[in-house]
Order: sequence, then C-alpha cells, then structure tokens
Amino acid sequence: MAAALEQYVTTVQTLSNQGNYTTLVEFIAKNMDMLGKNAAHLDNVLATLDYQQHSIGVLGILVIKYSVPNITDFETLFVQTQEFVTSCNGEQVRYAPDNFAELCHKFASQLVERKQPTRGLAILTQAIQKIQLHPAQLTSIHSDLCQLCLLSKNMKPALRILDADITEISREGGHYDAKDFLLYFYYGGMIYTALKNYSRALYFFEMAVTTPSMAVSHIMMEAYKKFILVALIVQGKIPTLPKYAPQVVPRYIKPLCQAYHDLANAYGTNNPAEVRTAVTKHTETFTRDNNMGLVKQCVTSMYKKNIQRLTKTFLTLSLTDMANRVQLSGPREAEKYVLHMIEDGEIFATINQKDGMVRFHDNPEKYNSSSMLLELDKEMQKCMKMDEKLREMDREIAVNPQYVQKVSGAHDEDMPASTSKNQGF
Amino acid sequence: MTGSKMAGDAEIDFLGLTHELETQELEAPGGVGSPQLYGQLLTLYLLKNDLCNAKFLWKRIPQSVKSGNGELSLIWVVGQHMWQRDYPGVYEALRKDWSESIRPIMSALSESVRKQALNLVRLAYSSINVDEFAVFMGLPVAEAKQAALSEGWTLDSQARFLTPKKPEPVLSATLPNEQHLSVLTDYVSFLEN
Repeated sequence: MAAALEQYVTTVQTLSNQGNYTTLVEFIAKNMDMLGKNAAHLDNVLATLDYQQHSIGVLGILVIKYSVPNITDFETLFVQTQEFVTSCNGEQVRYAPDNFAELCHKFASQLVERKQPTRGLAILTQAIQKIQLHPAQLTSIHSDLCQLCLLSKNMKPALRILDADITEISREGGHYDAKDFLLYFYYGGMIYTALKNYSRALYFFEMAVTTPSMAVSHIMMEAYKKFILVALIVQGKIPTLPKYAPQVVPRYIKPLCQAYHDLANAYGTNNPAEVRTAVTKHTETFTRDNNMGLVKQCVTSMYKKNIQRLTKTFLTLSLTDMANRVQLSGPREAEKYVLHMIEDGEIFATINQKDGMVRFHDNPEKYNSSSMLLELDKEMQKCMKMDEKLREMDREIAVNPQYVQKVSGAHDEDMPASTSKNQGF
Repeated sequence: MTGSKMAGDAEIDFLGLTHELETQELEAPGGVGSPQLYGQLLTLYLLKNDLCNAKFLWKRIPQSVKSGNGELSLIWVVGQHMWQRDYPGVYEALRKDWSESIRPIMSALSESVRKQALNLVRLAYSSINVDEFAVFMGLPVAEAKQAALSEGWTLDSQARFLTPKKPEPVLSATLPNEQHLSVLTDYVSFLEN
C-alpha cells in the first residue's frame, strides 16, 4: 500500500520536473482509486509535495480528500485548499481543469453544508482568476461563487465576474455541464435583481430561459418566473422570446407558471385593482416560490408606468387629478411618487406646490454634448469589439472539420431538406 | 488602526477605504469582521448612496456583533430612513454622537444628504412651500429661507412659496478636433466594411 503512495510521489515529482503535465494528468486519473483506498495517509503524502511545483499532484490528492463521505477535520482541509488555491501554479492546473473545478465544487458545497459561505468568497474568486484563460471565459466555478455570494448576502465579489460578458466556455475536459451554465445565469440574475440592476438581471434570466434544451429543467423554470417579474418591472410586459428559445418553454414551462401569466395579464390592463386581485389570488404560489418581494415591486412599478403614460397625454395636471387617474390615495401620495420618479430620472417634470400642479417636460437631453459623444463612443467601441469577436468565432466554426464534413455531406444528399433541418435547430 | 489614520487626515479617500474594508471583510478569519470594520463600511455605503449594498451588509453582520455594538443599529437607522427617502428621519437619525472611527464619514454623509435634498428640490419643484423646504433641508425655517435666498432663489410676496433657480446647463469642454476626426474615421471605416 505505502509503496503505491511512494510511487505516486516519485512519479508526480519526476513528471512535474520534466514539465510533462499531460502524462501526469493521465497518470493521476489512473491512480484516483488507489488514492481513495489510502485516504488515511494522504496528509503525509501532501507534506512531501510542493504546492507550487507539484500543483497537479496536490490537486489530485485534495480532490480525493473531499470525496471521503464524512470529512472529520474540515479546518485542516480548508487551510490546505486555501493554501493550494493561493500558491498553485496556474499553468500546471490548467492541464487538469476538470479536477480543479471539482475541487472548487466540493469545497463550495462543504461550505454551504456547514453554513459558512462567506469563507469561500475570496478563495473562489482567486480560483477563477487562476484557471481562466481570459476574463470572458466562463468556468463551472462561476456558479459556485455566485451561490456563495447569495448565501452570504455579499454580492460585490460576484460582480466583477458577472460584469464581464462571456464569449467562451471552458470545456473542462468535457465535464462542463448544462447545469453549471443555467445556474450561473440564474444566480447571476438573482444577484443583479438584489442590487436592483433590473435590465442586466433581465438579460441573465433571458439567457437561462433561451438555453437550447430538449427537457424541462427546474432551474430554467424558476428563471422563467423571475424573467416574467423582472420584465414587468423593466418593460411593463412580457417580451416575446427570441426564435432560438427552445420549444420546451412555451410547451411545458408556460403552463406550469400560470400564476405569473395571470399577473402579467392583469398588469396589461393597467388597472391596479386587477393586479391586486391577481396578487391576492396567487399569494400562496408567489410566497412558496420566494418571489413575493419581486411581485410587490411589480405592483409599485405599475403605478409608475401609469404616471409615465400620463406624460404622453398631458402637459400639466393637478396632483389631485393624477391621484384619481392612477388610483393613488390622494395628492400627497401622488406628489411622493412624482418626486421619487424625478429623483430616479424616470420622468421629467416639475411640481408646483403653489397651485398643486405638475408640469411634464420633454427629455432635456439634446444629444449635443461631448459627454453624450463619449457615451456614443463607448457603445460604438463595444459594437466593434463584438463584431470582431463574431467574425473570429465564425471563422473558427468554418474551419472546424466536423462542421465542414457535415455541411459538405448534406450538400451531397438533398439541399432543401438540410436547410430546413438547420432552421429547426 | 485605520481609524487613527483617518482622524488625522482632512481629505479622506473614501473610495479607497471602501475597497480596503471590503477586502478586509473577505479575509477576516472565520468570515466575521470587527464591529469597527462593519460600522465604517456601512457608513461608507450610505455615503455613496449605495443602499442595496448597505442593506445586504446589515443583513450579513452576525447577530452577536450587532448586539455587542449598539452603534451599528444606530447607523442602520439612518440607512432605513434613507431607503424610505424620509429626509426628516435621516436628519434626526444622523444627530448622534458618533464614535471616532466613523465621525468623519458621518459628517460627510450629513453634508451630502443636505446637498442631495437641495438638488432634488431644485430639480423637482417650480415652487415649494417654505415650511416644506425647511423639512427637506432639516433646518429651522428662517435658516432654510436664508440658504435658499443665498442660492439665488426667489420668495413670493406673501413669503410662503420659494421659486428655485434652475441650474444653468453646463457646457462641457469639447474634444480636440484631430482626435475627434480620427475617431470618426475609424467608425466610418468600420461601418463601410
């Protein structure tokens, strides 16, 4: 037994020193069982290896240490993980991204189980930076970090990774799962919702809902519910889903979210009484789904949308009139709504307390200032970058042997059939 | 440590301090920071008017730390009133004898709340009752009136309603022409392709 471990140490040391990381990764994959059987002696093995020089070897041992059914000494393991993530060699561990991700998943789930999510935030942030090839690359560790952020009620550490738009997914040796993808966008949407960045949240939920799929995922369904609520807050209606959204959404998910569609329909009438009826009717569902807070925000947003609509019809309006039209309790409440909306830049208006009137204005932005030019400039740069990225990705696909084979194969058979197949996909 | 450093400096880099404290919180052993850390960070979020993050910070401060340090709840009372945009409540809650470590941040916060209130009234009202204006500013009526007049606002004949003076549109500096031209050239060549 001990001989096998000694063999492990020697091989790790030799191969690491030679820089023969591919062989080392294969060797470790074959020896996982052996390590599992010797779980009791692994700390001795760790002591003989250097975290930085033999990162891949240490990684293999740590993964096994987390696989033990009952982890007795979690504190030691925590310190070992922390030290490993801080000092491991990024270049080496990128040869074993699947093991690295697994270590992070297990570490995160231990913290969740032990109700200590805060302790993992700094470590996972660093882990992502180590394993990523570039900031736009999505790894399966992203969703772990987001989950820990939500649980510890500390959203900021996740923002740095969430704010970066994703252009590539790390395959992690084929271990990257659809679940990680869905969870990343679901948790990310929740984080942006919590911070009231609703438009970005809507984008994240939309990403989760439009992920190609043949089966109903619970993550997708919960994302769909939140998608509806956030869409009501941002746009006042449910936007039509893009064509590439999978068929399971209208076919199976929609019928399961009837309460939310009822709310959206009531919202569409612009009548606060109807919305309140819908909310009362489905209170149980909303509360069970933990969405009651968002539902309440929807109700507030409807009053605001109704006030915004008034600006299209009137130039001036008395506060009393406004309160009647949007069904608020009185001029005081109407004034409060208008004031808050002016403060948040949601309408352009001035209140005249002397005669109790509100005067609506046009957007004062004349689009002729240099700050607006800078803004435009930023947007243009973004578009240009995206265009460049798209071309690059297109090129990659065009030279992909599998793709070329499929396309040329289809040509040989029957042109029309193949195009319709492509459209279906 | 940071407290003593801050108290001496008149100009404090609040943003830098915020980042520093955020990192400290993440690296705190066992994930629990000191009451001073939480107090400063909470006040800094309020100063930035970042109420969402302030709310979550309050929610994640462990109960034991909260009950061991009464000042934290007092800071959060300010936050709650800010959340409800209840200006009189904010001024009332701010009027406390704050401890050394957060005093400079708190005084900056008082100032910024008052400035914010003044700007909001200027933006949102074409005429406002003097008494209500005083409530917004958290000042006695006579002082509020004085503050308004010094801003160039006018008072009507019965001395009851103030007319705020709208801010002059700020003409920002234009970009240098050459730079401008080269940027535009880039765009055109991009769009043409």
